[in-house]
Amino acid sequence: MDLMVCVGSSCHLQNSREVIKRLKELIEECHLEDSVELKGSFCMGHCADAGVCVKYADEIYSVRPETVEEFFKTTVAGKK
Amino acid sequence: MDKMDNITDIVQIKHEVLRLTARHAFAGDLYTDYEKIPYEMIEGIKPQFRCCVYREREIVRQRVRMAMGKLPIDVLYTDADSAQVVHVIPAACEGCPITKITVTQNCQNCLAKKCAKACPFGAITNTPNGAVIDQSKCRKCGKCVAACPYNAIVEIERPCIKSCPVKAINMDKNDIATIDPGKCVNCGACVVGCPFGAISDVSMMVSVIDALREKKEVVAMIAPSIEGQFGAATLPQIKQAIRKLGFDDVYEVALGADMVAYSEAAELSERRAAGEPMTSSCCPAFVNLVHKHFPALEKYVSTTVSPMVAVERYIRSIRPNVVTVFIGPCIAKKNEVMGSYVDEIDYALTFEELYAMLCAQGIEVEETEEAAEDATRYGKGFAVSGGVTGAVTEVLRERGEDTALRVQKCNGADECRKALMLLKAGKLPVDFLEGMFCVGGCMGGPATLEEIQKSKKVFETRLGGAENVTENVESKGLHKANIHRHG
Repeated sequence: MDLMVCVGSSCHLQNSREVIKRLKELIEECHLEDSVELKGSFCMGHCADAGVCVKYADEIYSVRPETVEEFFKTTVAGKK
Repeated sequence: MDKMDNITDIVQIKHEVLRLTARHAFAGDLYTDYEKIPYEMIEGIKPQFRCCVYREREIVRQRVRMAMGKLPIDVLYTDADSAQVVHVIPAACEGCPITKITVTQNCQNCLAKKCAKACPFGAITNTPNGAVIDQSKCRKCGKCVAACPYNAIVEIERPCIKSCPVKAINMDKNDIATIDPGKCVNCGACVVGCPFGAISDVSMMVSVIDALREKKEVVAMIAPSIEGQFGAATLPQIKQAIRKLGFDDVYEVALGADMVAYSEAAELSERRAAGEPMTSSCCPAFVNLVHKHFPALEKYVSTTVSPMVAVERYIRSIRPNVVTVFIGPCIAKKNEVMGSYVDEIDYALTFEELYAMLCAQGIEVEETEEAAEDATRYGKGFAVSGGVTGAVTEVLRERGEDTALRVQKCNGADECRKALMLLKAGKLPVDFLEGMFCVGGCMGGPATLEEIQKSKKVFETRLGGAENVTENVESKGLHKANIHRHG
């Protein structure tokens, strides 16, 4: 399953690089390399939300560096 | 450094949008002032190219959005593939009202009337002024085109549809072009092909400028085809100009090409011994073509990464926390970067975007002291069709192996597609297939600044550098890096 993180300029300002770094670490920690593929994405049109735009299983989420862990545990590791 | 003298209005408009967007981004007021750009570019009320200034400004507004990394319009693309780079600018699309089969003035109004007889739908009537096609009856079968002894009936296709090598462009109910992301390989042929400039590529330029402004450690990785893009400027001069933008360092992707040639030669020896063909993997549009249109052949694609990824892995082995930015002639590279977060290449820019940034900051590519270059002449040669084959053959020679390869060099999308079709049918007995999606290789890429005839001349006179790939790779310790694709 693709986990897509926006690398557009608005999300860059919301620290998308940090979110990507943490997601990458979390995927390795949970040994999900085979089922989750981390990819970049252009703007998905949710710049007004308070966080970095992340798309997983066709759902769009707004993730901040502080909330990335919780997002990953409930949404990605939970659903697979 | 005014390169914009002899180019089309389309390239000029794209450049101006990128330049103004870059200028605001460098000044730090882009997010508050981006809506001003259409008015900065188009003053007054008199249109220059289109029906009215309001449409011209709307086109600029949609272009600014793409320059800022957004889709031209959000509402139309709610389910868009988010790594898709190439998009139609709806406001700029003229919906070209081309009736596909047309009678031209060559019609002699002859007695044979083969056209009318050939038409299975009774769509052609012969009038005293020549044949006339009833478009409501015409099914575009093309039989009349073949039948006319004067070649007076022609089939005209919309330029966007004609330019697309993978038939990914269709029309919506209003005749506005649409791109099917399931088929599109992001090669950028339609960006060049549309005479109204209505198709363009999303940019990562603003994110790069933001990283530079935040004083992060940002390094540029420049494609070998950069030589010849800035007139007679030499590689050290170009590198110096890029440093002036705020980049900490500039690496040559040709060094990654040396690493790729070294690795692919070893891979080729193994595959050849096993009696199996191998294709190159450096061209992202070619790799996308195999992935999306010839999935059965994916096993033949070399598992060596592209030169961009190879040089990035080398940089990260010595400087783990830098922001890496690829700069090249290629639109599909942006798509490759999107899919390769395992490698953490942060951004990809085109030469057009680099030039816009240099202009925005008033930086000239000028005289600097000569500096040493990273790569061999073979690594640099990846920029032109035949270069990959040349480099891999050179490494085989250096290793003392048999260099008599059966090679298929595919120069351009059509040759790539034909060769892959033959390969799929088991009718292409080769050891190595070199796939270059743009005619002429990367120097013919869609986001170059110079015509290939011109840039290639400069490129060829500059083709210096070290001579021995194996020595260059091993002396720098590059052969220890793992440059195979993950998984």
